[in-house]
Amino acid sequence: MKNIDNLSSLRKGQTALITGIHAPDSTRQRLQSMGLRTGREAEVIRRPRHGPMQIRIGSMNLIMRRCDAARVIISTQQ
Amino acid sequence: MPNTGKSTFFNRLTGSASRVANWPGVTVDLLSARVVLGGDAVEVVDLPGIYDLHGFSDDEQVVRSFLENNPIDAIGVILNATQLDHQLPLALQICKLGIRPVLLVNMIDEADQLGVRIDAGALSADIGCPVVLLSARHGTGFADARDAITGELRDARPVSLNALRENLHADDELVQHAEALISKSVSAPSKLVRKMTERIDHVLLHPVLGLPLFFLAMFLVFQAVYTFGAPLQDGVAYVLDVFRGWTLEPLETVLPSGLYGFLVDGLYDGIGTVASFIPVIILFFFLMAIVEDSGYLARAAFLTDSLMARLGLDGRGFVMILMGFGCNVPALMGTRVMRSRALRLLSMLVIPFSLCSARLQVYLFITTALFTASQAPWVLFFMYLASFSAAFLTALVFGRRLKSDEPFVLELPPYRQPVLKQVLLRGWHEISHFLRRASTFIISGVVMVWLLTHFPTGSTPGGAGTYASMLGQWMKPALDPIGISADMSVILLFGFVAKEIVIGALVAMTGLDGSALSGYLATQMDTIQAISFMLFVLLYTPCLSTLATQLSESRSVKFASISLAWSLGLAWAVSFSFYQGARLLGY
Repeated sequence: MKNIDNLSSLRKGQTALITGIHAPDSTRQRLQSMGLRTGREAEVIRRPRHGPMQIRIGSMNLIMRRCDAARVIISTQQ
Repeated sequence: MPNTGKSTFFNRLTGSASRVANWPGVTVDLLSARVVLGGDAVEVVDLPGIYDLHGFSDDEQVVRSFLENNPIDAIGVILNATQLDHQLPLALQICKLGIRPVLLVNMIDEADQLGVRIDAGALSADIGCPVVLLSARHGTGFADARDAITGELRDARPVSLNALRENLHADDELVQHAEALISKSVSAPSKLVRKMTERIDHVLLHPVLGLPLFFLAMFLVFQAVYTFGAPLQDGVAYVLDVFRGWTLEPLETVLPSGLYGFLVDGLYDGIGTVASFIPVIILFFFLMAIVEDSGYLARAAFLTDSLMARLGLDGRGFVMILMGFGCNVPALMGTRVMRSRALRLLSMLVIPFSLCSARLQVYLFITTALFTASQAPWVLFFMYLASFSAAFLTALVFGRRLKSDEPFVLELPPYRQPVLKQVLLRGWHEISHFLRRASTFIISGVVMVWLLTHFPTGSTPGGAGTYASMLGQWMKPALDPIGISADMSVILLFGFVAKEIVIGALVAMTGLDGSALSGYLATQMDTIQAISFMLFVLLYTPCLSTLATQLSESRSVKFASISLAWSLGLAWAVSFSFYQGARLLGY
């Protein structure tokens, strides 16, 4: 079954497919240029109780705030 | 691209001959250097690292307007070999401009270790431009890169970016193109796992231990500066003193006494005292360069972001504050990576409160003169605390008006072992920077102070009746309530230009140096007054260069004026409360 959700809801160690970015143009542009593109796989490496989370996309490690991660739409295979 | 070793490559290509220059269409200064390539003198310009040509940050605008307004012969695009999947789209964007770039695929050593194989020949054939694999850090492939750039040098022409703007929507196409290229010419393990980096991060980014470890690391850096710097400083002071005794003092019988006093007691001692702090400053910058080079700063941003978010800033702001401990000017320039103007202005308002190395000089001198060896480190620690508090307070006060909605997304680079050559080169840049300042600000400042404190003729040097004491009397109503004497207020006036002048000016004013000067200082202020003075020096304004940078980076006279007025007001208010409070409590 396919589950539609956003990146900030993933737990540590979980992986998901990016299906879109829900944000104004300039923000979407920014997130895309950092590698958050539709069709890529994102893995949550670190998710501390406070502060930003660490995401791995391909060869790149990113840190991003949860509120920004919430703009990234994902789908998980279950 | 950021984090690709662009500066490392630039340094290797140009040596240490780079300078800062202005370019048409670009409001900021860019580093450039003249090198000889293939028999021609070529001007090489270091453009900011960007992820995307049509983004909205100041850095991206800088690159765009530079390309539009300056004819270029060739362009080298530096990519990180381990992240080609993310970086090839930018290269393709540049190809779309009608320029044939040289793709410099850097960090090939790291890619090798991770099992990434790149077929440069196939990539080059597909993309239609030269591709060179290299390691700028270790020099592998560097000669090829140089040759490839030389081979591409031809008639200079400006670039029209209109084509690109029209093609904005074709972005997805570029990404698909890049992916196709990569699947053909790059083979990499499906998951790039950097065991070492993950193991280190497991400890350094630990949810509980991370932040304490970070502060411990910072504490160790400052402790090291203090421990290793002091003997070096004594060494330089000793050498300068010996030189004075052997070559300058015999001149006393030859030169007219006024001229001798000016040249030796004023100028030589003034500059010499400032120069004795160079080793401490160099040490500080070396250690900062190591921290910067290792990749730890991005971790600092990660660890501090939730705190900074509450202040309306983000983790990058904290890193800039840290950079500001070296020098406020590059830290201010570092805010260019921020897209939101509000966030950038708020960060630029906060950075000048970072206790920079020039202020550190003043504090090292005063604490050594007026406090015991066991008290001194605590007084210094207190000043760093005050520096952070002033920054946070400023963010709280102005944060409501400067709200930003910029996403906070940052690349976390792997840890890298700092390369000695890079660290040394960085240190050299700082020394040359100091010498430049010395030749302008410090010498003229010291000369001015000497003139003010020795004229009009007939007055006691450094005493009543001189222009300096008149100035001091004039400022007395403002500075008396915060415990700063008339003589010291003249020094503050010069400290406004640059904090490096402060100690030199003291020497020129009194004609004393070494322990005699410490003795003099003790007659000017007790410990409470000293702390009040140091608080004032910390806050009232960093220096003229910082102010000028704030102005040029914000392009707003209003912003720079608000920043100046706020720091002056805050400095007075803090010193006043501290001084009067301490006196009320009976100290």
